[in-house]
Amino acid sequence: MDQILVQTLHGLVNGMVLAMVASGLTLIFGIMDIVNFAHGDLLMLGAFVGASVLGVTGNYWLALLGAALVIAALGAVLQVTTLRPLIGRDPLTTILATFGISLVIQKYALWQWGPSVRRISEPVPGDFTLFHLQYPWYRIATAVLAGLILGGLWLFLKYGKYGIWIRATTQDRVMAQAMGIPVPLVYTAVFAIGSAMAAASGVLFGPFAGVTQTMGFDFTLRAFIVVVVGGMGNLGGSILASIFVSLLESYAAIVVSPAQAVIVSFVVLVLTMLFRPTGLFVPTPK
Amino acid sequence: MLVLENVDAHYGKSHVLHGVSIEVRSGEVVGLLGRNGVGKTTTLKTIMGMARRTGGRITFEGRDLHGVPPHGLAGLGIAWVPEERRIFRLLTVLENLRTGLDRAGMTPERREALLEKVYTYFPILKERRNQAGGTLSGGEQQMLAIARAMMLEPKIILLDEPTEGLMPRMVAQIQEIVHALHRDGVAILLVEQNVPLTLDAAGRVYIMEKGAVRHHASSAELRADQRVIHEYLGV
Amino acid sequence: MTAMPAARPRSPAVGYWIGFAVVVGLLVVAPLVLPPFWQRFATEILIWGLLAMSSDILIGYTGMVSFGHSAFFGLGMYGAAAALLTVKPPSLGLAVLYGLVAAGGAAVFVAYFATRLRDIYFAISTLVFSQIFYVIIFTWTEVTGGENGLTFGQPRLSLLGLGSDRFTPTTFHWFVLAVVLISYLLVRRITQSPFGQVLQSIRENEPRTRAIGYHVERYKIVAVMLSGLFAGLAGVLYAFQNKFAAPDFVFFVVSGEVVIFNVMGGMGTLVGPFAGAAFFLLLREGLSRFLTEYYLIPLGIIFVIMIIFLPQGLLGFLRRRLNA
Repeated sequence: MDQILVQTLHGLVNGMVLAMVASGLTLIFGIMDIVNFAHGDLLMLGAFVGASVLGVTGNYWLALLGAALVIAALGAVLQVTTLRPLIGRDPLTTILATFGISLVIQKYALWQWGPSVRRISEPVPGDFTLFHLQYPWYRIATAVLAGLILGGLWLFLKYGKYGIWIRATTQDRVMAQAMGIPVPLVYTAVFAIGSAMAAASGVLFGPFAGVTQTMGFDFTLRAFIVVVVGGMGNLGGSILASIFVSLLESYAAIVVSPAQAVIVSFVVLVLTMLFRPTGLFVPTPK
Repeated sequence: MLVLENVDAHYGKSHVLHGVSIEVRSGEVVGLLGRNGVGKTTTLKTIMGMARRTGGRITFEGRDLHGVPPHGLAGLGIAWVPEERRIFRLLTVLENLRTGLDRAGMTPERREALLEKVYTYFPILKERRNQAGGTLSGGEQQMLAIARAMMLEPKIILLDEPTEGLMPRMVAQIQEIVHALHRDGVAILLVEQNVPLTLDAAGRVYIMEKGAVRHHASSAELRADQRVIHEYLGV
Repeated sequence: MTAMPAARPRSPAVGYWIGFAVVVGLLVVAPLVLPPFWQRFATEILIWGLLAMSSDILIGYTGMVSFGHSAFFGLGMYGAAAALLTVKPPSLGLAVLYGLVAAGGAAVFVAYFATRLRDIYFAISTLVFSQIFYVIIFTWTEVTGGENGLTFGQPRLSLLGLGSDRFTPTTFHWFVLAVVLISYLLVRRITQSPFGQVLQSIRENEPRTRAIGYHVERYKIVAVMLSGLFAGLAGVLYAFQNKFAAPDFVFFVVSGEVVIFNVMGGMGTLVGPFAGAAFFLLLREGLSRFLTEYYLIPLGIIFVIMIIFLPQGLLGFLRRRLNA
């Protein structure tokens, strides 16, 4: 019983972090049909930048903000230099290009920060007690923070002027252009926002398991799964799917080893693709 | 104001427009008639940069449109109401309007005024302003598409088959709108298959066939001699 | 619909075959003149090239991007390992058989999904599959040796009961060359046949191909099977050369590298992948001397630049010629 409770908390917390990662990925895919292979590596880079900023300033919030801004800028540069030239070409080329970028980022991080694991210390110390269990406060704080950030993103998209631009461009790029919306700029901005979300997730996740060069791939893979299960381009769906898949994995980890628990999400993905390809959390298209 | 000189266009390898020359002067309503598939919509799309212009020139107020990015046309004063309407289905009516309303240089007062003006033209849109665009009826979507174009305070509206698929009552409403826009001094390039409406609304008419302009006359002339219409449109 | 030109050469110009003969000649002579390290290197290029060529069947000819070739490759490797470890004396033919069966089994599995998923979804699912296999192989330590993999001895060269000599690096190289050559010619024959034409038609315009009346699903299944089998064969050869099998080769990065070979060398050419593999591996060798493990930074950048400016790859210009 205790195990189930702990795993539920794990699932929820991990789900919120994953939701942040997936939201960036699904935004990017929804608006410009790009499957960003490097998304997890942007997360990893953000975590390293965050760790460095933390090391210099000792302030968690500065680390979070700094990482988000730096990686947002990097994302914008990447999009303009390597992805913009590929617009209109076979989607395969963008997958390959982002895969190439992913390799470069991984090795760069290795070169810049070395192979040892970096630490991001917990922003909120101590545990809280649930029944007779101890659960770290910072994990709860992380989930809440992720929720707030996602809420902010949702508000921005729903009510801001630029949010409308983004949503219009996602639905009909050509008509958005005809209305004077500068679509190339919107693309760059969305890629930057997605990158910032990934970076912030990296800093949030830092205290959980340390910061290493390879932490990105796991997230990329899971984020892909969640984006497909939630419905590609569907922000709300990917958030729900993140929590759903994370909970399933957490429960599976009770029975099998964590390395094997990941197979659960694979199975969910495959089943979704076979039977509900538009997404599990999307109403059946008419 | 809007001048197409000898314009050729291609979709991929298909040569779809042949030496099209059309002119719309400031404040004019000009009609573009022709059967299905003769290139009327393609002409509008070529102006909007969606078909590849491979010959000739398109100028607007003397400025060559070559090299103007697709999102720059709205700023120049060219608005487009496409054949399929293409309203943003998942955005509300108001959000649809805001895609044009939230332009640079629009003060809150001007925005309020423009919105109110459009609501007086289309009261039903005011009523449905918080509804998703996709839930509107065909006629309402057409009105939204036109209203959205008006948000750009354009000098010219490229209006593609606004009455297609609409009931007679709505058709009359569209006719009213076109007259009102004309009174406001907005030029209109009206693509239509509805001949009586076009002859009524437009001063001059071009008739197209097989990707080229075959005939050009004033509406008065065409009304007087129905043979030309019969020949090209079989009506 | 563009009209078919009046006369189209059914096979490429004589120039191609001359070039081909020269390259093969060089490869035959290579082990006799190269120092041991480069000798092994040449053999490895052939094996990776074979793997990349198998991927080209899917990417270049059928238009299906797959990130799952590491699974086929790895299964071929582990299949061969199984034969060499469990059956004494170690038999070459049996190792090949086990490897092909293992890879083929995975191919059937993947083929099933290939027909139900399109494009991106298929690509992602192949990635997921290779990771599933990786996890299974990594964690099923009793059978697969887990992280450490399996080591075994090299089988003797013995075909159909004839001969029983140990391989020398030279004779092994010639053996691999022979296998790769036969594979290439076989695949080439297949892609040039009506079957291959249909595959290309699927790549160009799948709905149209279906409308004409072709059973697209069946063609895709066969394409995946073929691709998987040759990838497995590459895995078997690799196992023979290195005498070990490790989960690293099943990790999806290998699939990614394979796709890189395809893109760099030129998709849809069958020889392009070999050139791409050679190019990549030579660059890696050269760069790592100066940059140790950071060679991937400039190499990755070169890759991305090639995608943008040279999307047809090094030998892509041959594509029209080779596929009449």
